[in-house]
Amino acid sequence: MDNSIVMIAIAVLDICALVLMITSCVERHSGRKRWSKMTSDMELAENDRIFPLECDEILIGRHASADIRIQDMSVSRYHAMLNVSGGKWSVTDLNSKSGIYVNGRKVQNIRLYEGDVIVLGTRRLVFRRKELQR
Amino acid sequence: MSNPVSYFFSCLFVLAAHGTMLFSVFSNGKYSSVNDVVILAAAVIGLDLLYFIVMPFFRQKTYAVDFMLVLILNMSIIFQSCFGGVKLDVKHFVTCITALASCRAGYILCCDHRWIESKKKFIWAGIGILMVIILLFTGSRSMWIDLGFMTIQPSEFIKPLLILACATSVSEQQNKHQIWKFNIVYDNLIIFGITAVVLLFQWWCRDLGSIPTFGAIYASGFILRICYPKAKYSKKTLIIAGICVAVLGIVAIIVAPPYVKERIFVNIWDDTSGTGYQQSKALIGIAEGGWFGKGAGNGMLHDVFASESDIVFATICEEWGLLFALMMILMLLIMTAMPLINPPRSYYHGNICAGVCAAFTVQMALNIFGSCNMIPFTGVTLPFISEGGSSMVTSGFMIGMIVASQSPEFNQAVRSTGTTRTMNRG
Repeated sequence: MDNSIVMIAIAVLDICALVLMITSCVERHSGRKRWSKMTSDMELAENDRIFPLECDEILIGRHASADIRIQDMSVSRYHAMLNVSGGKWSVTDLNSKSGIYVNGRKVQNIRLYEGDVIVLGTRRLVFRRKELQR
Repeated sequence: MSNPVSYFFSCLFVLAAHGTMLFSVFSNGKYSSVNDVVILAAAVIGLDLLYFIVMPFFRQKTYAVDFMLVLILNMSIIFQSCFGGVKLDVKHFVTCITALASCRAGYILCCDHRWIESKKKFIWAGIGILMVIILLFTGSRSMWIDLGFMTIQPSEFIKPLLILACATSVSEQQNKHQIWKFNIVYDNLIIFGITAVVLLFQWWCRDLGSIPTFGAIYASGFILRICYPKAKYSKKTLIIAGICVAVLGIVAIIVAPPYVKERIFVNIWDDTSGTGYQQSKALIGIAEGGWFGKGAGNGMLHDVFASESDIVFATICEEWGLLFALMMILMLLIMTAMPLINPPRSYYHGNICAGVCAAFTVQMALNIFGSCNMIPFTGVTLPFISEGGSSMVTSGFMIGMIVASQSPEFNQAVRSTGTTRTMNRG
């Protein structure tokens, strides 16, 4: 039996796996671009801190398991949730103690627009486009 | 198609991989006529080309997992067609095409996670219906329904449904209700109940090999439910859960049927013609195959019962060699690990990927380690490689769920979650 042919087949299979992993990396890169385009490339900012919005559900709160953790006693453990759907972002109050204020108005669930100011307890977050700060 | 260049090269290398395997069959294989090799090559390359042409019509954003799937399925067709002599295994070829169709179905159903999540009651009902079917048609000591022209294993279809049932979004986990001093998510209790009933059913119909797979699916869902959304979890909860699992395992061994106990404690070399027959033959086959195998169709394991399903790893080792068999396992692992390279954008899809990965990993471990006599023989199939229509269809569907997580849709209108009731005041 000719072992060299089996070795070549194994080598080609190896290369094929590598090519497919590279394809997946390329898809990840284009997926990022598509995500930015679909979600209007938005982010949350608090003074110098910037929170990228990279999932369709983002939990904001004081708890260590929150996606955006704000260590402030005026913020509830699970205070608010950001959602994106159909390219539109919205924020929902998770029945927090101090509630959510968007542009000074107390809300339960509201669609967000560029430049909106979200107040959670004593903390102030700005919903803005990434390009603005560059 | 966003990346036509990478698509082209992926097609090229998948074809090259199958081409070299087929050349190896031609050079080293055992066949009575060259026509058998030509027919096998035409089937494999034809299926490759057909899939590459059809795939772009689905307008997916990613294709890497699909390429891995078609690569593995056609490898499987080559392996199965060579056991005991080269001849296209038409039945396996058809089940592989069914698996590809099932993958498409999984993708279409799961690409919009909000839609599939809203259908969770139908998923629970689906599991219930399957259990009623098992109760009515398989009997207490069987796992198959014989339709005459084919047999179906209904418990296989519970696997993707259980993965979907265990998956959760962050919003769903915020829907807590206070009962006494505890904040409870009702869905978590329902999933626990469903899993417990499924496991009891598996025990009842003596499909004990599937219990670790269902357990792994639930464990991944359980951990992701208590750990969401980041790896912040209560160590106490995990330790208690671990102790419960250990106690359950010990109790299961104590009350296990005699034939299971026999498999746990048997020395296969003392009984090579009885209880240890398959495993001893499998080990001899692996040893005889060595690093590079005896050549396609030149093995002796194809005469052993379940050589193409339960001990398929050993059969491949014997004919293709240990290196090739390990490469095949690596391919399966890479396919399930693709979400690590291109992570999903939603927690629900992340849960699905974890569930599929858990199910596949446990099945592979049970099959391979069982063949090698490292654990008791379970009779669990090796996903996509073993023969078996039910397993193939459900495995294809589960890979479709991974494809959906790679090419998700977020197109639904804004859903109001203002009525969410939470009990987590700070």
